[in-house]
Amino acid sequence: MNEPEEPREPQEIGRWAPSRRGFLKSAGGLAAGGAVGEAALAAGNANLFGDGVERLKGEIELELDINGEKKKVHCEPRATLLDVLRIHLEPALTGTKLVCDNGSCGACTVHVDGKTSYACMLFAADMRNKKIRTIEGLAKNGELTPVQKAFVERDALMCGFCTPGFVMSVTACLEKNPSASLDDVKHACSGNFCRCGTYPHIFQAALDAGKALGGKAGK
Amino acid sequence: MASETNLPKLDGPSWGAKEAHTLLNHDLPRVDGPDKVTGGARYTHDVRLPGMLYARLLLCPLPSAKVKVDVEPAKKIAGVVEARVVHEGETKFLGQVLAVVAAKTPQQAEDGVRAIRLELEPLKWAVTHEQSLADDAPKVLKNGNVGKSGDKGSAADVEAAFAKCDAVVEASYSVPIQHHACLETHGAVVDYRGGDSATVYSSTQSCFDSAGEFQGALGVKGDVDVVTEYMGGGFGSKFGGGTEGKLAAELSRDLKVPIHLMLSRRDEFLIAGNRSGCVQTIKVGATKDGTLVAVDAKVDKLGGIGGGSNAGQPYIYKATNSHAAIRSVYTHTDSSRAMRAPGHPQASFGIESALDELAYKLGLDLVEFRKKNTTSEFHHRQLDRAAQEIGWLEHKFRTAPDLSDSREKTGIGFALSTWGGGGGESCVVTVEIRPDGSISAKSGTQDLGTATRTYVAAIVAEEFGLKLSDVVARVGHSSYGPACGSGGSQTTASLAPSVKDAAFNARRSFAGALAKSLGCDAADVAFEAGFVIDGKSKKKLAWKDACATLPPAGISAKGEWVKALADNGVHGVQAAKVVVDTRTGRVQVLKMVGVQDCGLPLNRMAIRSQLNGGMIQGLSYGLLEERVIDPDLGYQLNANFEDYKLAGCQEMPELVALIDDEDTRGVIGMAEPAIIPGHSAIANAIHNACGVRIREMPLTADKVLMGLLALKKG
Repeated sequence: MNEPEEPREPQEIGRWAPSRRGFLKSAGGLAAGGAVGEAALAAGNANLFGDGVERLKGEIELELDINGEKKKVHCEPRATLLDVLRIHLEPALTGTKLVCDNGSCGACTVHVDGKTSYACMLFAADMRNKKIRTIEGLAKNGELTPVQKAFVERDALMCGFCTPGFVMSVTACLEKNPSASLDDVKHACSGNFCRCGTYPHIFQAALDAGKALGGKAGK
Repeated sequence: MASETNLPKLDGPSWGAKEAHTLLNHDLPRVDGPDKVTGGARYTHDVRLPGMLYARLLLCPLPSAKVKVDVEPAKKIAGVVEARVVHEGETKFLGQVLAVVAAKTPQQAEDGVRAIRLELEPLKWAVTHEQSLADDAPKVLKNGNVGKSGDKGSAADVEAAFAKCDAVVEASYSVPIQHHACLETHGAVVDYRGGDSATVYSSTQSCFDSAGEFQGALGVKGDVDVVTEYMGGGFGSKFGGGTEGKLAAELSRDLKVPIHLMLSRRDEFLIAGNRSGCVQTIKVGATKDGTLVAVDAKVDKLGGIGGGSNAGQPYIYKATNSHAAIRSVYTHTDSSRAMRAPGHPQASFGIESALDELAYKLGLDLVEFRKKNTTSEFHHRQLDRAAQEIGWLEHKFRTAPDLSDSREKTGIGFALSTWGGGGGESCVVTVEIRPDGSISAKSGTQDLGTATRTYVAAIVAEEFGLKLSDVVARVGHSSYGPACGSGGSQTTASLAPSVKDAAFNARRSFAGALAKSLGCDAADVAFEAGFVIDGKSKKKLAWKDACATLPPAGISAKGEWVKALADNGVHGVQAAKVVVDTRTGRVQVLKMVGVQDCGLPLNRMAIRSQLNGGMIQGLSYGLLEERVIDPDLGYQLNANFEDYKLAGCQEMPELVALIDDEDTRGVIGMAEPAIIPGHSAIANAIHNACGVRIREMPLTADKVLMGLLALKKG
């Protein structure tokens, strides 16, 4: 194999939609780098051009606060938070799921500074100095949270692939307001979908968990 | 449980009285729930192995073309380790796999795919029903674009019968192509590092059956263990390794590193299967009293380069005379695959719509009309129950739609389902009891999210008077023993009797062993509430202490299918209540009721989950879902979850899932029938609400408004 080149957009297959990352690469402030092995650190590669935009290149090193632990990770600047969680972290945190890679389905829902966010729509490099909580960060010492317990007891899951995302959305909703009504829960989970059709049991579980957390559900 | 029921029976395993169960026929939280809510459940997507490469595919962007593929540019991309041409020359369908790239990260594999140089010479294609049947259509398959018509019944007799009818309805009803939309895309992680054996992680509905396929693709003679501990949705589309599995195996075989090849979301839409579309022209006729006298149906199935499916007409209903001509119409798109109750939802939409129209024409009650033309007592009682639950008897518009001028109008509709759901001799289950007190049941089956693990554990726990958590159900490895693929709702009726048989055999062995060590009669040994009891002396041993008397090898007992424990043939009725906003055309489903029989319900809560899931998928199919391919550009316009709509929280109605407990039969599968009638009931409810009959799904606001306009114009 020859020397690696920069990844580039294709010319010959114009019928393909431009990839989101390709678009962001050309439009955004972060330049995608390619060559693994350059092993350049973020600090060495960050250039400030006076426009306040940091440009990263090559392989970067990030320190992220995930579930209360500082984690160092090496990745490309274009890596999303989801890529980092699932691919680049050692060991990988695969509870957060990749489904649409497009910000439509909610399977990759995590909490960033306490707010629900799609991990597939965030650059990992933007997550420095933020607190990230994933599905793996909820149960402590094997003890399920009231939301997790209620999901199990109400059978609010079937194949389980969307479940971590729903658990994260419901958790954030009830942390904000344990007395969340059915409409509040529906609203909180509107960015998540489930193909097996577990919604009614998810709603029940969320209302149960709200009660367990001291809320007055259904008031 | 009474101790008598625990005595070893010489006449073989039996479920016993339906009311006597301590675990089965109850609500059981699933045993793998904690793994799924903590992110601990490892799906194929989640497998991470040392040295693993990620692979991505390049699909043909046109439905029909001559292609040349140059993968050399891909090989120059950072991180790319291998790039291979899979197909060149003429292509057969949109999305045909042309090349595969393996790289150190998924992003680099995608870079590699984008770098591939493609030369495309577009050929004329047919991607729609109209294009395929046009006079100047290109040939999709060697033998043309229309399959052989399957004719059933006499067209002449039916034609004569129409003359005797008091009312006749004839119309064309069509359903679009629907996608399975599995949240976990198709694919496999193949771990071959040389030698004569391999481990394959595969997102499949047929773990045991896949082993041979991967063995062939890898060219190894030794053991190939296929692992499917968890899988993120299949709905019929995940049988066999597919092209992606084969390519992953070949790459792993040649590179001797683990290959992770899971489809991208876009690829999943293009090549991972779909529910075939259908265009049905249906003519129905009845006499004044509502007797269905004649049904004539012409059905075109749209399954891409595959045959498509339709359950036949008249579906479920009995007509004195009927004729159906069903054929496949081929297009340059990927083959349809089995999808939850293949052929039935399509057939349901045709016949339920046509019969609804006929009942209105005769001014008959929609429920009574359905009862008159079905023979099953199951359907009759389920119709009554659904009608009661949805509020039919209080509803004003039971024989004619609401044609008033109010803005928001409420309507109710009904539809029926039927399915086999029986089992067969396919599963061998092993129950093992160890001297340390552990007990497990092992099978090469898979848990698709149907709570298979949970009922496997529950059957064994009940047999031994143990708690659900005392038994470990081990599934999802092909090496665990023969099991059927999970399709056709046959898993439960095949597996549960085998588990019961294995548990029964293990109990008999254990009782025999204990009789020796305790000096009592094996027939007197009972297992109850965590104890082993000698029925005569009333001596008790705690379960653990009893197990400790076993020899080091413990007890291992196999079980096979027992016909008497399973049954076949299920029925269902669903009712929908909708509100139609006549100014915007928006349809909101307020409530759905599903009544379903399933023989012995193994886990009532999981069955309600399945029934809810079926109604929701039916709602989604009815109102939102449709594969859209631009006929001129040959490009799928909605191969992503932004544009391909699935029902979400805001579309959720009140859902009432009811198990038909008058059914006293053995175990029967019920997953498929749950998805058959929902969309038809919704279409019928829309008509009941406002007089608009939508004959082409999905049932969208524009069609409601066009229908209202047509009504106004008369």
